Amino acid sequence: MKGVGGEILWIDLTEQEIDARPIEESMVRKFLLGAGFLSKVLFDHIPADADPLSSENVLGIATGLLTGSMFPQASRHLVAALSPLTGIWGESHAAGFWGPELKMAGYDAIIFKGISPEPVYLNIRDDDVALVDAKNIWGKDVFETDELLHKRHGKKCRILSIGPAGENLVRFAAIMNDRDRASARSGLGAVMGSKKVKAISVRGTGKIDVADPDNYLKEMDRFHKRMLDNPFTPERAKYGTTNLVEMMQEIGRLPSYNFRQGVFDEYEKISGQKIYDEHLVKARADWCCLQRCGRVTTVREGPYKYTGGAPEFETQSSLGSRCGNDNVESVLFGHHLANKYGMDTISLGGTISWAMEAWDEGLLTEEDTEGIDLSWGNAEAIIELTKMIAHREGFGDLLAEGSAKAAEEIGRGTEKFVMAVKKQEIAGQEPRAQKSMGLAAATAARGADHLYAFPVLDEAGFDDEIRERFGEEYLPEMTDRLNPKYKGIMVKECEDYMVVVESVGLCKYGTQIPPEFYYPAVSKAIQIHNGIELSEKQLKEIGERIVNINRLFNAMRGITRKDDSLPKRLTQQAAPTGPSKGQTVELDDMLEEYYEERGWNLESGLPTKETLRRLSLEEEMKRTGLW
Amino acid sequence: MVELEFVIGDPRVCTGCMICVNVCSMRFFKTISPARSRARVLRIEPALDFPLFCRNCEDAPCIDACPEGAIRRTKKGTVIISEAKCTGTGDCVEACPYAAIKINPDTGKAIKCIQCGECVSRCPVDALQITTREKLQETDPDGEILSLHDEHADILYGKEETP
Ligand code: SF4
Ligand code: SF4
Ligand code: SF4
Repeated sequence: MKGVGGEILWIDLTEQEIDARPIEESMVRKFLLGAGFLSKVLFDHIPADADPLSSENVLGIATGLLTGSMFPQASRHLVAALSPLTGIWGESHAAGFWGPELKMAGYDAIIFKGISPEPVYLNIRDDDVALVDAKNIWGKDVFETDELLHKRHGKKCRILSIGPAGENLVRFAAIMNDRDRASARSGLGAVMGSKKVKAISVRGTGKIDVADPDNYLKEMDRFHKRMLDNPFTPERAKYGTTNLVEMMQEIGRLPSYNFRQGVFDEYEKISGQKIYDEHLVKARADWCCLQRCGRVTTVREGPYKYTGGAPEFETQSSLGSRCGNDNVESVLFGHHLANKYGMDTISLGGTISWAMEAWDEGLLTEEDTEGIDLSWGNAEAIIELTKMIAHREGFGDLLAEGSAKAAEEIGRGTEKFVMAVKKQEIAGQEPRAQKSMGLAAATAARGADHLYAFPVLDEAGFDDEIRERFGEEYLPEMTDRLNPKYKGIMVKECEDYMVVVESVGLCKYGTQIPPEFYYPAVSKAIQIHNGIELSEKQLKEIGERIVNINRLFNAMRGITRKDDSLPKRLTQQAAPTGPSKGQTVELDDMLEEYYEERGWNLESGLPTKETLRRLSLEEEMKRTGLW
Repeated sequence: MVELEFVIGDPRVCTGCMICVNVCSMRFFKTISPARSRARVLRIEPALDFPLFCRNCEDAPCIDACPEGAIRRTKKGTVIISEAKCTGTGDCVEACPYAAIKINPDTGKAIKCIQCGECVSRCPVDALQITTREKLQETDPDGEILSLHDEHADILYGKEETP
């Protein structure tokens, strides 16, 4: 097989043993690499009753089939484990240069088992792979770790690490790479922390040989041109994702005040335009990225002074509108701190905004918060709590559990305000303003999530792509974001495609928004890069297989239809104001359509035997002991 | 005398995407490999990304340094390395003040940018130009591009590679 590193590193931390094993083409044909590969490996290796922070959990980091290729945005790697936030399937992805570097060193993935007796970091330099004592690095933040390891191993190595949040087992700790890139969701930084692995430094001086070197540049040029000519690209380069604030405000999809509503009156103060005008230093790109959504921003003076990588729309929503916070400098600085400590800003803001609403309702008081005033929009408190959570200090220790566990502990009716699915906080999409996002959050394998399906085709009126991907007969309902009809069909198809995208290492920008590249492009890229023929039909089936094995993983941990739910606020209370005023999420109708389309049982929400048989997952089915 | 051309990039505009680097290794060595590219890209925090190339020096110390006489200047003014003559001693690597030469690990021969322009046309943000000293004064009248390079010379041209 071409276009890959060629080996998987299996690392037993308890025994401090490292084993490199070749990747198998038969496995690739069934699950690809990246998300699919890890879905299978973790299904096979994590016992059903394992505790996420115990030695039984397995942490996998994998690149995709096309990671390190010249296809637009082929920079990504994926991290997966049993999630300490949700207790179910946990995965998270990031861009950068770390993944391609791993390939250059000759590896496609790293699987960590066990727990190291002492803090270590993994140092990879081509064939030299070693676990190294990390006593002197443990306790350092992400940026310090990055600098220290560069000093030690040269300026060309690429670093992936956890910060204090991961070390302190914050349940939404991230794994960071290339300084500001985050595998943020699912709390996998805490898994890495529990395994006492501080970082992975990689330097690869090898090469990625491709299947069709003679036509490679010509073919890739075509893909680059398509990406550059797409009307979305200049916008994305100019604003990154920050101007989604304006776009979401316009359609009432900007979660505000812990999802009480989908509009934020002060939205202009945290908008993309505001950041562009006053804080942007430059746009940055990851490996072979033509979209350049990465930002370097600055706050020049005052308490929130910094220069660095930030922000992303999700943070403007989570630390901004969601907390009723219109102080953009605190939003930017909060993002900077979250990167520095290694934390997911979505769950961070989601947990703080939960506490703020509980405070607003009088259910939390100064006695609980040790004097911190949690009024909506208190920027100082948000920053203070960010630090306290990362270090598990005072009230931050409770919030470090995430909103669902924190509410369980505190009780007093605060559970009502937990805006999460399967214990993971919902991202910055107000589902009452876009029904497909509500369904996607309910069904996603890692708990509330906008990216597992990323059903954005109805968000900005991509009628032509919907026609191309689904067919004329689904219009106009499918393009109407307030109409629940056909959203089950849409989310199913989007999930299948997005797990394929995560398995080949591409970005959702370019494959889903803008929807420039679809299966035929991915299939073609795999052909010229890896030399494997996988038709659109085969890729679709692989996507479906991955979603189903993720479902099996969760089913073994008790997940059924009852868990594919949304907070009552979203399904029972009409949106009080804004363009989506009066809307609720018709979740049950959409779910029925979704299960039907998936070939899952309508009552249990689990795959039927026939479905699993069709996807060659019988053996896995048997192993769950549920069928 | 011919105008000496060289490739230079604007570190404020460059996003660090490495496309130029990969275009080069693919064009000349049919593989994706920064270690086999005639270009390199170095990111300097917080906000500079330097695409780096041979400067095609007037005095070209690499030519003098080569004990095999493998490096010469063509009529067009390009400094080139003869694959046939190069024995990979690495003297040119030592001599180049811009860390612009490396030894291709597959062939054991020295490689450097020969100003073919392939990467220049493919940079998605037009951060690169093929230029001469004089032309650069027109396109960058304040001399910002060169002075940013000078300012960070230690990091950009340092040859130390910790094992
Ligand atoms: S292609 Fe352009 S933007 Fe990308 S690294 Fe090279 S010079 Fe920079
Ligand atoms: S290789 Fe180095 S020394 Fe030789 S011309 Fe280029 S920059 Fe000058
Ligand atoms: S100008 Fe040609 S030789 Fe020089 S770095 Fe670019 S592609 Fe390589």
